[in-house]
Amino acid sequence: MEWEQLDLNPRIIAAVKKANFRSAREILCVSGPDLQRLTRLSKTDVQRLHCAVAAAVRKSKPVTALQLIRGECPVLEAGNRLSFSCRILDGLMRGGLPLRGITELAGESGAGKTQFCLQLCLSVQYPQENGGLNSGAVYICTEDSFPIKRLRQLIALQPRLRPDLPPALIHSQRFSDNIYIEHAVDLEALQACVSQRVPVLLKRGLVRLLVVDSVAALFRSEFQADEAVQRSRHLLAFSNTLHRLSHEYGAPVVCVNQVTDVVDGPNPGRCDYGLVGSKVLPALGIAWANQVMVRLMLRRLVGQVQSDSRSSAPRKLEVVFAPHLPRASCLCGVWEEGVRGIPDDHSDLQPQGSS
Amino acid sequence: MHRTVPSLPLAPSVKVKLINAGFQVASDLIDMRPLQLCKEVGISQQEAVEVLQMLRDDGQPHQQRAATESLTALDLLHQEQALGSIVTFCSALDDALGGGLPVGKTTEICGAPGVGKTQLCMQLAVDVQIPVCFGGLGGKALYIDTEGSFLVQRVADMAEAAVQHCTLLAEDTEKKIQALEELTVEKILSNIFLVRCHDYVELLAEVYLLPDFLSEHPEVRLVVIDSIAFPFRHDFEDLSQRTRLLNGLAQQLIQLATQHSVAVVLTNQMTTRVSNGQSKLVPALGESWGHAATQRLILHWEGLRRLASLYKSPSQMEATIQYQITVQGFRDAPDEPRPTPATSAVSSPSGNHSKHPRMEDRS
Repeated sequence: MEWEQLDLNPRIIAAVKKANFRSAREILCVSGPDLQRLTRLSKTDVQRLHCAVAAAVRKSKPVTALQLIRGECPVLEAGNRLSFSCRILDGLMRGGLPLRGITELAGESGAGKTQFCLQLCLSVQYPQENGGLNSGAVYICTEDSFPIKRLRQLIALQPRLRPDLPPALIHSQRFSDNIYIEHAVDLEALQACVSQRVPVLLKRGLVRLLVVDSVAALFRSEFQADEAVQRSRHLLAFSNTLHRLSHEYGAPVVCVNQVTDVVDGPNPGRCDYGLVGSKVLPALGIAWANQVMVRLMLRRLVGQVQSDSRSSAPRKLEVVFAPHLPRASCLCGVWEEGVRGIPDDHSDLQPQGSS
Repeated sequence: MHRTVPSLPLAPSVKVKLINAGFQVASDLIDMRPLQLCKEVGISQQEAVEVLQMLRDDGQPHQQRAATESLTALDLLHQEQALGSIVTFCSALDDALGGGLPVGKTTEICGAPGVGKTQLCMQLAVDVQIPVCFGGLGGKALYIDTEGSFLVQRVADMAEAAVQHCTLLAEDTEKKIQALEELTVEKILSNIFLVRCHDYVELLAEVYLLPDFLSEHPEVRLVVIDSIAFPFRHDFEDLSQRTRLLNGLAQQLIQLATQHSVAVVLTNQMTTRVSNGQSKLVPALGESWGHAATQRLILHWEGLRRLASLYKSPSQMEATIQYQITVQGFRDAPDEPRPTPATSAVSSPSGNHSKHPRMEDRS
């Protein structure tokens, strides 16, 4: 830290240097009386020192919420969201995924989480006025290999999913070129990928969406049941990296999570998030839940839903918690062209028997 | 001048040397000359000059300031009542808190993710602005966001609902109607200041800069830190340093609350603690943090219900009340008889979670 550039009496700066302080963090982490003792400065001098260092550390001055909503501070609140490429799903999320923060998608296997993620990887590549972010995506696989055939099918059928866009726009996108696929076989590889390779792509503006499919797989397999503390520590370090990247580059992070069975009744030691009657809960416990800003759950329902003489098993996408959304859900189906929400007035649906 | 040397605002090493040289009271020093002082005490000439300068500068005001005012308990009671409190729009919670969130004190709100801590904080940031003639404080708010969960869209919803609520309350009194004209969603949003801190160093810096900010904006009556747990829960190899920093923060915040008459609200996360083979959800940041805030509110789920428990308060009784989060914000729970958790597990049809299925295009 360059002490000279602080707006302080040279005497104070000399005392700081003599006491061997190197960084702003060291000054801020030491209390007033301790700093007085180490630098032999008076109380008022130390207060001035703290204020000057704090002002240097502070990245931006306070802004008002009015400035935010008018879009005057794009760094803090961008105003736009990442669309799901479906009007009904976007409606559930009030526009789409927020650009900063971790969004979690939890569900049983076969629910359709990967389908959602693939669709987002395509949606992010459209221009901003069409709900995208005009950039690519990084897809980190930890479970199965990347479903490349399905991606090709989705790319081919994009015009059917997005009839609102001019076909020329869709055909001009080079979808596969902008999706970077990473396989992480263990936690170390995952952490290395997220702290070294992904920031490079983000910095160069090549990607603005990060998908981790899934976050549960490696953390559940590498830690025993009694190693909860270590698992929490690694989880926190990992989620902190994601959180930092998301905020710095305005890139939504989508983490796919598995679910655990609920075998006993309500347990005071386990948080149910108000999901009463659910037989499954998102995995990785409260340590992970504390890091997530938007939690979505996807459930596969029995029955069939029709659309243009094709059928699909219906799914329920539920918002478990989000700072700006109520507890709500919508039904959707997985078709050849992707995931599409189903309007409420659909009659061939049997939503009973949900898990 | 009867001030003793240890009470003078000097560097500790200088004070020690003065005392060792036999100077006990400020009046002993007043007649000395710098060179004399320098030789007798063993401090540098610069330091001697500073000591004498300081004594000369505040010779007069010292005598006036010598006796600090003593307040009676009745004076303190009047002062506290004059400070007021911030309503939450959930009357059950306001009653439990004795009127609302107290100004001049620190309150901690703990809860699991999704239970409504950020919603309550946003609601308070809107409610602090209710005009005085409606029973509010007419103040501004500073929101320090460490998690990135302050989404202005939601605050705008709450602001609109608050304006509508006040419109319903306004009778035909001229003062209220005039106050209502000025109370628009835009005005409310312009009175909420937002700072985002990305790690604990930025948070520490922000708290050091708070006194200046509060002096520049004396109408601020609420400071929210959402959440204080997030930046402190990882990256700390040395837990004792974390405890030290948190204690320092708590002290600074309590001082700010009393000196500048603001309500300080901190949100905390929950963590699992295993004891005797049983696991419990407890507030994070450790045992000693429990003593930091004056009041502690714990929000938790009980089946489908959201409950708020006043866990620690010097003036109010422990109480548990029910609340709900609606489109308008943090509100009282509806007065229906709720099923017990056992039956609700059986009778909750899938559709009930979606109280307001968002089918129409809300954008």
